[in-house]
Amino acid sequence: MSSFDRRAGMKFGAAAFMAAAIALAGPAFAQDAFRFGLAMPLTGSQALYGQDQVKAAEWAVAEINKAGGINGKKLEMTVLDTQADPQLGIQMANRLVSVEKVPVFVTAWSAVVKAVAPAANDNRVVELSVGANSPDIAKLGDYVYTTFPLADIDITAVAKYAATSMGKKKAAIVYINNETGIVAAEVYKKVFTEAGGQVVAYETYDPKATDFTGPLLKVRAANPDIIHLQGLVSDTPQVIAQMRQLGLAQPISSYSAAYNPKLIQQLGAAAEGVIATSLAPGADDSDTVKAYVARWSKEVGREPNGLPYTQYLYDAPYLVAAVLKSLDNKKTPITGENFRKEMLAIRTFALPMTGKTTLGEDHTVVKPVYLMEVKGGKWTRKAIVGE
Amino acid sequence: MQDTTIILQILWTSLATSTYYVLFAVAFALVLKVTRLFNFAQAAVMTIAFYTAFVAVQWLEWPAWAAFIAMMVMTLAASYALERIGFEALRQRGVSVMFVFVFTFMVSEFVAYVAMLIFGTWPQTIFPMIFWPVTLVGEIAVSGWDIPAMAATVAALTAFFAFMRFTRTGQFMIGVADNPDLAELYGINKRQIFLVAMLIAGAFVGLGMFLYGTRAQVLPQTGLSLMLFAIAATIIGGIGNIAGAAIAAVILGIIQNASILFISSEWQGFLLYIFLFLAIVFFPNGLRLPRRRGRFGTATRDIPLGRDAPPAESQA
Repeated sequence: MSSFDRRAGMKFGAAAFMAAAIALAGPAFAQDAFRFGLAMPLTGSQALYGQDQVKAAEWAVAEINKAGGINGKKLEMTVLDTQADPQLGIQMANRLVSVEKVPVFVTAWSAVVKAVAPAANDNRVVELSVGANSPDIAKLGDYVYTTFPLADIDITAVAKYAATSMGKKKAAIVYINNETGIVAAEVYKKVFTEAGGQVVAYETYDPKATDFTGPLLKVRAANPDIIHLQGLVSDTPQVIAQMRQLGLAQPISSYSAAYNPKLIQQLGAAAEGVIATSLAPGADDSDTVKAYVARWSKEVGREPNGLPYTQYLYDAPYLVAAVLKSLDNKKTPITGENFRKEMLAIRTFALPMTGKTTLGEDHTVVKPVYLMEVKGGKWTRKAIVGE
Repeated sequence: MQDTTIILQILWTSLATSTYYVLFAVAFALVLKVTRLFNFAQAAVMTIAFYTAFVAVQWLEWPAWAAFIAMMVMTLAASYALERIGFEALRQRGVSVMFVFVFTFMVSEFVAYVAMLIFGTWPQTIFPMIFWPVTLVGEIAVSGWDIPAMAATVAALTAFFAFMRFTRTGQFMIGVADNPDLAELYGINKRQIFLVAMLIAGAFVGLGMFLYGTRAQVLPQTGLSLMLFAIAATIIGGIGNIAGAAIAAVILGIIQNASILFISSEWQGFLLYIFLFLAIVFFPNGLRLPRRRGRFGTATRDIPLGRDAPPAESQA
């Protein structure tokens, strides 16, 4: 795997160098191609995810160009390494904005997205955040938009669904005591209460805990109709196992962290009735996704790390290309300012991998939330909220 | 009677889950006592132990017993390598304690990093399924994991303490722990004793990780965070007091779980740090009842190191 990474890294390096060379060659060249930037972690602790996401974006750019590019002109992507580090992110954003002079760049990881926002706003270059989900991202300024749903969208959907469609009156919330859990638990509590329900237990557990008996017994004493669990991938199966072991037979809802095939494998019959969310359609929902996953198995020999994220990254060049094409049709100069105007004028995009995407007024994005439920030992689709 | 049920359930589950904590704490305390090293590389051994069992069961599809043996072999091999290649070389060079500390920490981080490269950042368990069937005893839920885990831990600890008390090697270990140079003067091969201590600790870590990995998910960094608990128990139990560390691990686990009855659940994890803080600041030598002396502490003075005379164990 490490040799793959190195080769990939060299390829990215070469791509970046070539893009830089093209940029330096002057405007004559630039006329024949449209360019945008991509700043992702290619090295460092997040590289496992970053490299797969970049690969997805590269595949998309290649597909776009194979299908004729943008009005016959090529789409070119300049890839730079942020290491998911804010400091390095700022350097890379400055390079994209001042040296490469791209009208738009794509980046991810909440800390980086936040750090580079001033570079985008000051230079009037659009920053597209694809993959970071901190709710603060909606408040970063005029030139920062996200195509990835922010943290509260799926929690809101699952809370509302429990209170209205499932008719649950008393909910218990069990959450992990860190940023992921605390904020989302509050969102769930607020939405569920506003929808007419009552939160009868609100219990947390430590991120390092391996036993959850205490909080779960408190939940049992409160006798709820439904339990919402807001944990991480690592602790969610154990918490559910213990709930069932302690005799909590109520429906359990969670969010995207619970949505993976391993949960069923690990819990067997105890997984029945667990509800989770997905922010991107899976291989069973769409043929495009199916073909995409098959391509990963064939070319890379495995599933991508963080499949939904790579789906969003695959879609990003398509959104960029749609806006550039529209600008080109109108013969409008390609600047960050015009890109932003045109993007907001189009507003709704039909993207190949994640479907309909509507950029909201408040710098958020509206995406359907897929509610999945374990039934008969399989993840089945329960409902789509907000399509 | 909801409250009684809650208290009993918490007590039972804490007791069951303290099994692996006790094993990790005893391993850490033993190495510290005998070799006087804060062996943070224990986390590396934990990581190696877990992923060996994981590969054996999930990739090679070996039966559980074969996976357990493979895991023990790898764990002991890792402990052996750590002692012979790492610690021994450092000791011979006479490096400072701080240097050894940095070395052990680095080894753990290195192994975690390699594990991440090979196994990714997805949490894993030894067996695909972590749901254990439950039997209700009265109103207490007893899972199918609890009793075997407790039995294995008690058996391992009994064997260990018997070894320490009744075998020559065990007594040599106490001798080396007390004064390595003096022990050497009496003809004890301290090099070998250090190795024995590391191997026994490795066996405890292996068993502990097997128990942990059949119940909870493991990430490459899990070993490091599990070790923190072992360190707290070792300090509170009194450095050099292995039984103290084991008892401290059980009590810490129970207090942490039972605290939910008195304090809000978000403070639960914080308790560990409060224990550590209090222990380091107020009880640097561990919590001791007045006039109570560590069993091994007493025993050491009377052992005729390297002679044939029977050990004069004084009764505590």
